[in-house]
Amino acid sequence: MKRHFMAATALAALLCYTGAAYAEEDSKLVEPLAAYKSFIADHTEKLLDNTSKFTEAVKAGDIAKAKALYAPTRMDYETIEPIAELFSDLDHTIDARADDFEKKEQDPKFSGFHRIEHGLWSENSTKGLEAYADQLLADVKDLNHRIENLTFPPETVVGGAAALMEEVAATKISGEEDRYSHTDLWDFKANFDGSKKIYDLVKPLIEKDNADFVKKVDGDFKVVDETLAKYKTADGYELYDKLSEADRKVLAAKVNALATELSTLRGKLGLN
Amino acid sequence: MAHDHKTETSAVDSVDASRRTLLLGLGVAAGGALASSLPVKAETGDGKQVTDAPESHIADVKQRVPFYGVHQAGIVTPRPANGMIVSFDVIAETPADFDLMLRKLTERIVFLTQGGIPPVLDRKLPPSDSGILGPEILPDNLTITVGLGNSMFETRPWLNPLKPRCLQRMTQFKNDALDAELCHGDLSLQFCANTADTNIHALRDILKNLPEYLVPRWKQEGNVPTVLPEPDGTVHSARNFLGFRDGSANPHSGDDALMDEIVWIGGKDHDEHEWAVGGTYQAVRIIRNFVERWDRTPLGEQERIIGRRKMSGAPMDAAKESDTPDYAKDPDGKVTRLDAHIRLANPRTAETRKNLILRRPFNYSNGVTKNGQLDQGLLFIAYQSDLEKGFIAVQTRLDGEPLEEYIKPIGGGYFFVLPGAREAGDYLGRKLAEAAAAGPPTRS
Amino acid sequence: MSEFDPGKKKSSVPSSSLMYLGVAGAAALVLAGGVAFYIATLNTRHEKTGTAVAVAVTSKACEPNSISVPAGERTFEIANKSERPVEWEILDGVMVIAERENIAPSFKQTLKVRLAPGTYEVTCGLLSNPRGTLHVTPSEEANAQTPRATMRNFLGPLSEYKFYLGRQSIAAVRAAQDLADAIKAGDLAKAQSLYVAARQPYKRIDPVVHRFSDLQNTIDPVADYFEKRENDPAFLGYHRIERGLFVTKNLDGLGPVADRLVADLKMLDERLKAMKMTPDVLIGSAGNFTSQLSHDRLPIQNDSYANGAISDLEANLDGIGKIVGLLRPVVQPVNPDLAQKIDATFSATKDEIAKQKSGAAAASPSIDPNQRKELVTALTNLADALNELPSAIGINSNGT
Repeated sequence: MKRHFMAATALAALLCYTGAAYAEEDSKLVEPLAAYKSFIADHTEKLLDNTSKFTEAVKAGDIAKAKALYAPTRMDYETIEPIAELFSDLDHTIDARADDFEKKEQDPKFSGFHRIEHGLWSENSTKGLEAYADQLLADVKDLNHRIENLTFPPETVVGGAAALMEEVAATKISGEEDRYSHTDLWDFKANFDGSKKIYDLVKPLIEKDNADFVKKVDGDFKVVDETLAKYKTADGYELYDKLSEADRKVLAAKVNALATELSTLRGKLGLN
Repeated sequence: MAHDHKTETSAVDSVDASRRTLLLGLGVAAGGALASSLPVKAETGDGKQVTDAPESHIADVKQRVPFYGVHQAGIVTPRPANGMIVSFDVIAETPADFDLMLRKLTERIVFLTQGGIPPVLDRKLPPSDSGILGPEILPDNLTITVGLGNSMFETRPWLNPLKPRCLQRMTQFKNDALDAELCHGDLSLQFCANTADTNIHALRDILKNLPEYLVPRWKQEGNVPTVLPEPDGTVHSARNFLGFRDGSANPHSGDDALMDEIVWIGGKDHDEHEWAVGGTYQAVRIIRNFVERWDRTPLGEQERIIGRRKMSGAPMDAAKESDTPDYAKDPDGKVTRLDAHIRLANPRTAETRKNLILRRPFNYSNGVTKNGQLDQGLLFIAYQSDLEKGFIAVQTRLDGEPLEEYIKPIGGGYFFVLPGAREAGDYLGRKLAEAAAAGPPTRS
Repeated sequence: MSEFDPGKKKSSVPSSSLMYLGVAGAAALVLAGGVAFYIATLNTRHEKTGTAVAVAVTSKACEPNSISVPAGERTFEIANKSERPVEWEILDGVMVIAERENIAPSFKQTLKVRLAPGTYEVTCGLLSNPRGTLHVTPSEEANAQTPRATMRNFLGPLSEYKFYLGRQSIAAVRAAQDLADAIKAGDLAKAQSLYVAARQPYKRIDPVVHRFSDLQNTIDPVADYFEKRENDPAFLGYHRIERGLFVTKNLDGLGPVADRLVADLKMLDERLKAMKMTPDVLIGSAGNFTSQLSHDRLPIQNDSYANGAISDLEANLDGIGKIVGLLRPVVQPVNPDLAQKIDATFSATKDEIAKQKSGAAAASPSIDPNQRKELVTALTNLADALNELPSAIGINSNGT
């Protein structure tokens, strides 16, 4: 008599004797983690593709095109932030802001997206940006390769939901991330999507025992989503300065609430 | 005697020495280093450690720290509740000006730290004193410590050859986001007192009296909580704004031999200029803490990042703050992570003993940043006889630590603290001024 | 076959419970409820540990057709009493728990496997022969095991591996589709050029995939297992296409076979998506599969008309390497010597294959016997190392 293969819990040895439950809780994380890796792999591929086009435009001296591609290209980076951040050297060369350098915008070590942003918007020129464009593409290729070979630590994945909210709270909410182009709301959306993805993947595992929590978090995500959506445009988002003071406050409060709530995700899943 | 900067009280009884416990041990300050197995110093005098929490029941306006001595006060002096670092640009274009400035500065410091009554002037004139402490200036445990920065020596050819060997311009570490307006300086003044008002009063006094010499660049105030000792007399290290005990493993500031080894320039093997004997290097770092993010981090993770238990301050493998972690038994970092803050700062090996520094920090709380988060952090201050082997070596080891997610150094500078003024008639920096005035540089 | 020594205890992970999850190289165990039942007449009961259970495979059936054993580590001795090579599989539904392939006529092979209580089927020679039954009863022996690692250690590796399986299986589907398109367009040369590479993604996930016995039997079966061999209408999959492309050099009738292959690979992809990833998938698969390669497959002259033998092997090794890489951080802290041994034997195998690639063997349909021997040795060493994994990092079933 054939048993449906779904009834088989394993291909290989699982030995259980006294009836105590197999580590169901832990094993339930495997699916979300695998799905997240897939999500990240897709976005990293897109990032590589878009960065290639963006840097091409920069090197070709096509300022308008480069400007148009800047914010959409960054979105994939901001979405995969929890994982990209694990490689702090690359994070530094790809995404550091001028603040982090002694000579600020003039510092030769200032590179990556924001260095190019500075050239495109503050100087309205691509002059001198060729080397930075090459470096950015090389760094993104490297990042892609490293992510492929990385086994995602479960705590980093689940903790990433909160980490992305911290990102928003620290720099996007104040318009400090993209201070030359003012395209912070694009980044905000990307961080938001990345955070919500993780939360959605693990939500089924915590719903039963945390109904109120899930309801609250769902509600908070909804408010942020709807508030941000007010600033959507045909090809993206309004510039940061269009964000009304009232909406900014609402977003700040909700983002902080989400950061606080999502900081308990790991604990709820028994992860360190 | 070299270490005469124990707290004296004129009207308050000395605290019973038996009520205090020396804490030699393990601890952490954001960006600080820790002692390896240090000799336990037998109690002498009141034996207070610099990073003990000040005892609120003892603090008194009448407490006075002596000014004269081989070393300046405010380094191994027990730390009171309030501190402030102010950095200045100095206007002194000749050795003569420099000498005059040092004399005047010393004069003010003596008055402020020993106490006295400011002169009462004619009403038609501005008052001689700000008046914020009233008609009589009481010492209130005040110390004012003077240091000279790299730029002081670099821009003056008559000082340049006399520059201390390790003194340099503070350069960026990997996690730094240095704000030029919060960095460096020709001269630093460290004010410490029981109350913030005493420090503020002292600063305003010095500015009023030396306006042609000193122009403020940046300042940062800070404080540490005052704590009552335990019933058994144990005093603990004060906590920082991450909620962790800070200073558990500081070298014992009451141990003269240890301070000679770690902090003071001197001894037979020193390779500094003669004028520098009795001085020390001061590393100041303004380190922002991302407190909201920290407060949202699971306790277990906080402890793993730091390498200690939060409430007790004990290392992960021991029971008390004063216990030493046993890293030899934990080579893979299963108990205390290999990248835990305390382990990176002080790996506790024979070689890293030469990297010990004396930390004497304060917590600061400024305003609110643009993104609605609190601007709080650590005013980190460390003293060592060799800047390269001390702070710079330690901070280099800390590069890349997980704690970096939560902290961001934004300012500070390196300074050389002048030796003490020996007795009345002597003044801070006299030997340096004399060497500068003596003309062509001779390395002593 | 894979060895397992329950007595080898590691002190690094203390056991706080009697739950034990381990894998012997060829053993797969199913979480059952401890149901035990005995079937009277055709039963042969083997209570004593240490004695091999004898089973014979004739041209028509297994003898005995029903076996009962206590749970724990069991040894089976399979005698091939038929005229052609057979494989012997223990199945749970369509999932292969353990197997021996390519048992030559009138030869015996042993299979060591750790079994959990439950009822299983066993295959008996020709795929069209009826199956036998294996009853595994609860036992004391199986209760006394100790855990080596925790589920937590496996979360990362398992999710990575699931992701890898998905990527490779999609790649296999795409490559098969391209192959099918070329065949249906009548382009023999193109189809020939695509064939060997098309197999690679499939071969990479062979360690896991060959356990889906029903799909294995339509995607990658060997002609010998069919009554009418190459002419058997049930002979499908890669090798059927290979024969058409490289032996008869005729595309007639291959269209539907290629379409069927694509459909089966898509089904495989679905199965992999739905498959529950548990630690033993990783722990047992690598050693299990490598043993099969070294013991069952390579020693046999399985000619590859497409000169793809080395390419298949390389892809197999890639797949094994993926598992080795994922498990290294789990093994290293628990048993650094074993980690080192695995790495060393893996490198040696890789080197051996590289040698073969650059040699004359690469151009011929079959691997030269001497070189085959070298390969077998290298793979056997690797298999031995990998088969120590269950005792080194076998998991506690209650997750502690």
